[in-house]
Amino acid sequence: MRLPKSWGKDHYGALMLLALGAAVLALGLGYKMGSLNRMGAGFIPVVLGALMMAVGIAIGITAAKPGQREMTNPLPGHGTHAAGPEWRGWLCILGGVLSFVLLGEHGGLLPATFASVFVSAMGDRNSTVKSSAILAAILTVFCLIVFHYGLSLQLPLFQWV
Amino acid sequence: MHQSLIDLWYGFGIALQPANLMWSVFGVLIGNLIGVLPGMGALTTISMLLPLTYVIAPVPAILMLAGIFYGSQYGGAIGAILLNLPSHPPHAVTCLDGYPMTKAGRGGAALGITMMASFFAASVGIIVMIFLSPLLVEIAFKFGPTEICSIMLLGLLAGATMSRGSPLKGVAMTIFGLLCGVVGTDVISGTTRYTFDLPDLADGVELGALCMGLFGIADFLVSVNRTTIKPSDAKVSMKDMRPTRAEMKQAFWPMVRGTMVGTLFGAMPGTGPTITTFIAYAVERKIAKDPSRFGKGAIEGVAAPEASAHSKTQVDFIPTLSLGIPGDAVMALILGALIIKGIQPGPQLITEHPDIFWGLVASFWIGNVLLVILNVPMIGVWVRMLQVPYKYLYPAALFFICVGVYSTKNSLFDVGEVAVFGIIGAIFLTLDFPVSPIVLGFVLGPMLEENFRRAMLLSRGDLMVFLQRPISAWFIGACTLLILAQLYAYGRKLRLPPPRETAELVSE
Repeated sequence: MRLPKSWGKDHYGALMLLALGAAVLALGLGYKMGSLNRMGAGFIPVVLGALMMAVGIAIGITAAKPGQREMTNPLPGHGTHAAGPEWRGWLCILGGVLSFVLLGEHGGLLPATFASVFVSAMGDRNSTVKSSAILAAILTVFCLIVFHYGLSLQLPLFQWV
Repeated sequence: MHQSLIDLWYGFGIALQPANLMWSVFGVLIGNLIGVLPGMGALTTISMLLPLTYVIAPVPAILMLAGIFYGSQYGGAIGAILLNLPSHPPHAVTCLDGYPMTKAGRGGAALGITMMASFFAASVGIIVMIFLSPLLVEIAFKFGPTEICSIMLLGLLAGATMSRGSPLKGVAMTIFGLLCGVVGTDVISGTTRYTFDLPDLADGVELGALCMGLFGIADFLVSVNRTTIKPSDAKVSMKDMRPTRAEMKQAFWPMVRGTMVGTLFGAMPGTGPTITTFIAYAVERKIAKDPSRFGKGAIEGVAAPEASAHSKTQVDFIPTLSLGIPGDAVMALILGALIIKGIQPGPQLITEHPDIFWGLVASFWIGNVLLVILNVPMIGVWVRMLQVPYKYLYPAALFFICVGVYSTKNSLFDVGEVAVFGIIGAIFLTLDFPVSPIVLGFVLGPMLEENFRRAMLLSRGDLMVFLQRPISAWFIGACTLLILAQLYAYGRKLRLPPPRETAELVSE
C-alpha cells in the first residue's frame, strides 16, 4: 500500500498508534477479561488498547498538514531540520549497545566496554578510528578501576563462553 | 506551624549526618557537572545514576537524586545562557534572552541573576513545602482507592495535556506508558501479560532501562551528526558574574513573579516544568512596558523563567511525596526509585518516614547553598566543560548507561531493553510525540490499575462511585474541566488563525 504524499508526521503517528492499539487489543483479548466487579488480567490492557486506537483516530483527523505542525521538542536537533536518514550514526549507536550485551555475555566486562565505546564513537562523522580507540581505551581503564575494583560490578573482566 | 519548625530541625539533623550529607553533595556536584554538558539534562543524569541508589540506603538515595535534579538545573542554565543550548527543555526559554545577553557581553551577569533567582525561588519553594505538606496530609488521609484513582487520572491527564505540543499526543504517550506498565506479572491474578514468553519480562519492564532508552539512547539517535555545537569563546570569571545595580533592580520583581508562577504550578499535579517557564516568560512579556526588548537580552526574561523552574522543582515534591503523583518525568523517576526501595509514597509517607521527608526538605537548603558556593568560584571550570565535543560525550554516556542498567539486576537482557526503548523513543521524537508522559504513565500505571480494580471490587462494579464520593467527584470534575478547556482551545484554533506565539518563540 502506498501512503499519500500529502501525509505529515501526524498521519504516520496516527497510523502507528492505530496499529499498536490494535495489536494490544488483540493480545489482550487472549487474557481473562472478567467483569467490572471482578476484573481479569485482560481488562485494563483491552481498555487501554481501545483508548489508544481512539486517540490514534483523533490525531489522524486533527492532523496538521506537513509544514504547519507545532513544535514539541524545543531541543536543538529535534525535528527542526529534518535531514535525511543518518544510518551511520544510528547503526553505530545501536551497535554499541548490542555489542555491550553480546560481548558482556561472551567476552566479559573489558571487551564489552571497549567495543561499546568504540562502536558508538564511530557513529560521529568527525570521529576517526584512532580517536575512537583512544576514547574506548581510556574508558576501559576507567571502568576497570571504578566499576570493577571500586564498585565491584558482578560481570567478570574476561569470560569465554 | 510550631510543629513544622521542630520537624525541620529534626530534618537538618538527618541531612547533616555525614553519610547523608556526602551523598547529597555528591548528587549536587554530579548533577551540576552533567547538567552543564551539552545534551545531558536532569533526566539523563538521574536515570544514569539510578542504579547506584539501589545499593545505598533510602534516605541518602533520595537526597542524592534530589541533589542531581536541582544540581542539573543550575548546570543546564549555564549551557542555555552561554551556548544557546538548552540541555533540558525548561531552559529553552532561558536561551531566548540569556544568549543575547551573552552576545552583548553580559553573559556573566545573566548567570549571576540566574543563580540569585534560583536560590531565592528554591527557598520560597522549600518554605511552601514545609507548611503546605502537613495540611495536605490531613486531607490525604481521607483517600481510599477511589480517590487515589481519580487523582491519578487527573495527574495523568494534566501531565499529558499541559505539557508542550499537542495534547492528544501527550495522551497517546501516557497510554503507551500505562501499557508499558502492564507488561509483566499481574499482581492480582498472577497471569503474565505481554511478556512474549520471555521469562526476563515477567518482572515487568525495568524503569532504568525504559528511561535511559527514551531519554538517553533515543536522544543520541536523534542528535548524532545533526547537532552542531558552536564552540563557545565565552569567558566568564567570578568578577563578571556580579550584575549591576540597575540589573538587580530590573530583575527583582520578575524573580518574585516567576517564583509565584512556579509555586502555583508546582502544587498542581501533572503540570510539567517547561510549561511553567513558558508561562512565567509570557507573563513578564505581557506586563513589560516595552515588550520588544524581550528576545534581545532582557534580564527579566532570564530571571522569571529560571525562578519559576526552581520554585516549581521544590514545590513539585509535595504532590510527589504526599500523594504519589509526580509532576513530571523527573519526579516520576524519583518516585520510581522510592517504590523500588520499598517506600510507598502517599499520605503516610510523612508520618511513617519522617526521616525521608524532613531530611529531604533540609537537604534542599543545604544543596542550594552548596550550589551557589560551587557555581560562583567554579564557573570557569563549568564553562570549559561546555567545550567537550559531542563525539566524546555520547559514547561515554552510552557506556555509562549500559553499565548502569546492567548493575541494577546484573541482567544483560535489561541492556537490550535499553536499545529497544531507544528505537521506540527515537521514532516518537521524530514524529513529534513527547516522550516524558511515557514515564509518568509507566510509574503510575501499576498503582492506577491496582487501585482501580480495588475500587471496583469495593463498589461491586459501579463506576458511579467516582462521582458519589465527594473528594473523588472534585477530581473528576477537574478532569472534565481540563478536557473541556482543551476542546475549547481546539475549537478556537480552528476558527482563528493560530496564535503561533510559542512556536515563534522557539524558532527564533
